[in-house]
Amino acid sequence: MNDDYLWDKSGEPDPQIQQLEEILGTLRYQPKPLKLPARRNYLPLLAIAATLVIALLAVALWLQTRKQVASIPAVAIAKPADPIIGPPLSVSTSPPQKVRPRVTKTDRQEALAAKQQLMFALRLASEKLNAAHRRTQDKRSSYENTLPN
Amino acid sequence: MATANMLVINPLAEAVPDPGGKCPATEQPVEIGLVKAVLEGDREGFGRLYHLYAPLVHGILLARVPRTEVDDLVQDIFLHAFKKLHMLRDSAAFGPWIAMIARNRAVDYYRRSRETVEITDEVRGTDKQESKAAEILELIRGLPEAYRETLVLRLVEGMTGPEIAARTGLTAASVRVNLHRGMKLLREKLTLTEGV
Repeated sequence: MNDDYLWDKSGEPDPQIQQLEEILGTLRYQPKPLKLPARRNYLPLLAIAATLVIALLAVALWLQTRKQVASIPAVAIAKPADPIIGPPLSVSTSPPQKVRPRVTKTDRQEALAAKQQLMFALRLASEKLNAAHRRTQDKRSSYENTLPN
Repeated sequence: MATANMLVINPLAEAVPDPGGKCPATEQPVEIGLVKAVLEGDREGFGRLYHLYAPLVHGILLARVPRTEVDDLVQDIFLHAFKKLHMLRDSAAFGPWIAMIARNRAVDYYRRSRETVEITDEVRGTDKQESKAAEILELIRGLPEAYRETLVLRLVEGMTGPEIAARTGLTAASVRVNLHRGMKLLREKLTLTEGV
């Protein structure tokens, strides 16, 4: 038996091995194309992830802004015309408007009564002044009449 | 269509270096450069590895599983290798690595099917030559495992002993002994068969 031919096909060929090679060669591997899976495109997934992150950031920013607005004292918003506190706070971009104080009906009646009392007091004072003036005038004329010519 | 999402590598169209050869620029085994290129994204490089090692995988499977299953399993094994290539520590050991995958896949095949696969006329082949080939292959499959794989690679795939040693990672001495003893047993079986 020729071992060299079996080992590396060198030397004198062995007829039986050659015959086996010929017969079994029909079963030899026939080259076929290999189908590799296509490379996965991660771009759409990245776009979705980026959109979600941006949306989350926007929501977080909005919540923070809302929290800051809510932390302002309620008095300032409820009574924006209070002259001590100042003009009302507003988150709108329009220029601040003058707020007229709200006057109730009772306030008005009290103010009217006070005005009438004041006018009455002024009239009384005026009458007293007139009376005093007349008395002064009468005394002066009686004095002049008594003077010798 | 399935091929629309796939890269089809035609081994016939590849310019492939000699099996077990060395890269002329670096004097390293070609597998090292090819594995590195594939890991860096060169998918065509895997086509060259496929062309180099498909006969080895085919031979290993042919020594173990039915012929009708071999082609599909070869594809599966190379797809598996493509996905798991990053787990290969030594690029020069691509051959022994994929040979081990092929042997394990053959074991898995029988574990999953759990049935005896009988050789039908279709498997035996249509013409006389193929039928004779299928009969001899069955005789080889009846040999001890260490001999049958080496004999199939030598007699079916046409590899030489040194090529078998280089691609499987076995020592040249082991391959030589396996070839010698396996051939002796095969001759005995052939004599018995012809005598009957």
